[in-house]
Amino acid sequence: MIEIILFTPLILAAAVYLLNKKIFNTASLFIYSLLLLFSSVNLYLEPGSFTSYFKTDNLSIIFLIILALLFSGVSIYNFSYMEHDRSSIKRQSFYTVNILLFTASVAGVILSSHLAMLWVFIEATTLSSAYLIYYHRTPTAIEATWKYLFICSVGIAIAFVGITLLSMGLGGFDSLYFDELAQKAEKIDPFWLKLSFPFILAGFGTKAGLAPVHAWLPDAHSESPSPVSAILSGTLLNAALLGILRVVKVMELAEMGDYARTLLLAAGFLSLFVTAVYIGVVKNYKRMLAYSSIENMGIIAIGVGIGGAGLFAAVFHLTAHSLTKASFFLTSGNILHRYGTAEIAPVRGLLKGDAATGWLWIFTFAAIIGLPPFPIFISEFLIIKAMFTKGMYGTALIFFILLTVIMAGMAKNVLRMCFGEDSAAPGSGKSKILEWLPQLIFMLLLLTAGLCLPDAVRAAFEAAASVL
Amino acid sequence: MIPFLIILFSLTMLYLGATSRVEAYIKTLALQGVILFFIILLDYGTENIPNLIFLSAETLAVKGVLIPLVLMNVVRKNDIKREIEPNIPFFFSLIITSSILASGFYISWLMSDVAISAHPFFFGVSISTIVTGLFIIITRKKIITHIMGFMAMENGIFLLTLAIAKEMPFIVAIGVLLDIFIAVYLLGFLVNKIQDAFAGVHIGTLTKLKD
Repeated sequence: MIEIILFTPLILAAAVYLLNKKIFNTASLFIYSLLLLFSSVNLYLEPGSFTSYFKTDNLSIIFLIILALLFSGVSIYNFSYMEHDRSSIKRQSFYTVNILLFTASVAGVILSSHLAMLWVFIEATTLSSAYLIYYHRTPTAIEATWKYLFICSVGIAIAFVGITLLSMGLGGFDSLYFDELAQKAEKIDPFWLKLSFPFILAGFGTKAGLAPVHAWLPDAHSESPSPVSAILSGTLLNAALLGILRVVKVMELAEMGDYARTLLLAAGFLSLFVTAVYIGVVKNYKRMLAYSSIENMGIIAIGVGIGGAGLFAAVFHLTAHSLTKASFFLTSGNILHRYGTAEIAPVRGLLKGDAATGWLWIFTFAAIIGLPPFPIFISEFLIIKAMFTKGMYGTALIFFILLTVIMAGMAKNVLRMCFGEDSAAPGSGKSKILEWLPQLIFMLLLLTAGLCLPDAVRAAFEAAASVL
Repeated sequence: MIPFLIILFSLTMLYLGATSRVEAYIKTLALQGVILFFIILLDYGTENIPNLIFLSAETLAVKGVLIPLVLMNVVRKNDIKREIEPNIPFFFSLIITSSILASGFYISWLMSDVAISAHPFFFGVSISTIVTGLFIIITRKKIITHIMGFMAMENGIFLLTLAIAKEMPFIVAIGVLLDIFIAVYLLGFLVNKIQDAFAGVHIGTLTKLKD
């Protein structure tokens, strides 16, 4: 199964490049999404492995299923998106090739059972997504691509320093398999392990969008085409976070859990703070969504940093955030298409102009700020509860205040866009069915998870949290 | 011989911290590549000859020749001569670089009893090189200088991996991958694009996206 996930995109990419046909471009993404969905469900039922470098465990399967679900939605949306894309067919094919390679490398990060292999695939995600951000070729797109490439390269290099330092501390066994690292965690020289963790956190944290190394994220997410923003935000950030989680686990077993958790908490709260400062003043709604991604990565880091019930909350939050943010970004693509601008100020009367998009915009907003019954409410509630059980009342208060500030900042912008008279140029079309169906499905999934989480799914989340 | 080479390497970093001429940066980077090549030859031992050949050839070809040539090409084509108005005057820059280097040596001295598997001298100098590279990236304004700061940092990382080259050749191999990644992507692709789009390779021009 893992072979299918890793190799079909290569074959499809070659075919897309050679055929250069519009129909085949969009269809190939859809074919791969079906294969991905099929294989990940299979891997969920029966864990598999491929060579010694790739295998699934209870934690990575969650990430894989999120990737598969999200990519399916994006590939459906992409049919419609590509219809009104005006780039040349050659560029569109290259876009498709890069999406396929990007998705395969994200899957590679998720499936890696070896720290260095995970690093290699994270590097591959940077390579394959750079073109996607650059796709519209405007000066701002070039600027965003440059920042993305440069900042992430520095981040990747720093993560590499961390891995090298970790390798220096491996006394007697020269292996970076996660299993073996976990088994022999106590034998790792604590000096080197302690030294390596900040490097790995800063390095992978750059890709995961944790403050203070998040600078590329608002630019890249706002400049890339909306389907790309959706997969960047919903899968890439998670995958990079998985790298951090794996090392946190080793730290935990080496009895340096407190140290790792403190650093995670610091990064998480800083991310929340940065978002709270910027989210009210941004003038571009895609940037607003990007800042919200930073916020949510921060919440997940805080959940892991708290530990205990926070771990379950973190995994749950991660899943909920991916689906919500993907539908948010896809909906923002509809708005961008209809109004022709990513600025907040000129967009008015979304509900009157295009009701489907308008209501999705409001509901995804409600889901992302964590109104009940959406699952983000449950995960944030669980995190606060975990803080209370640990007696961290002050922390819980700060957490709550920051979340409220962020909510207020987003609400101001989102609601302003929805009401009033429609400001779109006359004759701007409404969204077609494929442009709102994926979001609707995501929303229904989220509502189901929020109202009555099926036992099997809950068990899967609990199993994943127990790996942490 | 190896300590001498490492000290020479750290001196090149001092020069990078102080100079303003862009071509001098490139020549220094090439020199660093050659120094790294000799360090590999002397330090690696003869147990694993194919690996030794691959590593040393890659270092000399990519770090010593290819990257400097591409950089020089970009610089000449775009007529970039000097790094003007850095965020910090060069004199202070030199002082800061020296103190980073001094702390690197201090760390290697501290490490000499902790570091069992790693060569302490390698460690101190490479850490100070990485930090100096980051320092150059932060304080300089031209995109091309940013890339060079990154290259210097890269060289520092390579020196660090050499300390464990014998135990874990795999790590060094992916370090090489990082190298090629930079050479191909950051250089070949983007510098020219930015030049076309902004008519000037200056970081000050990349400020459209902000809040």
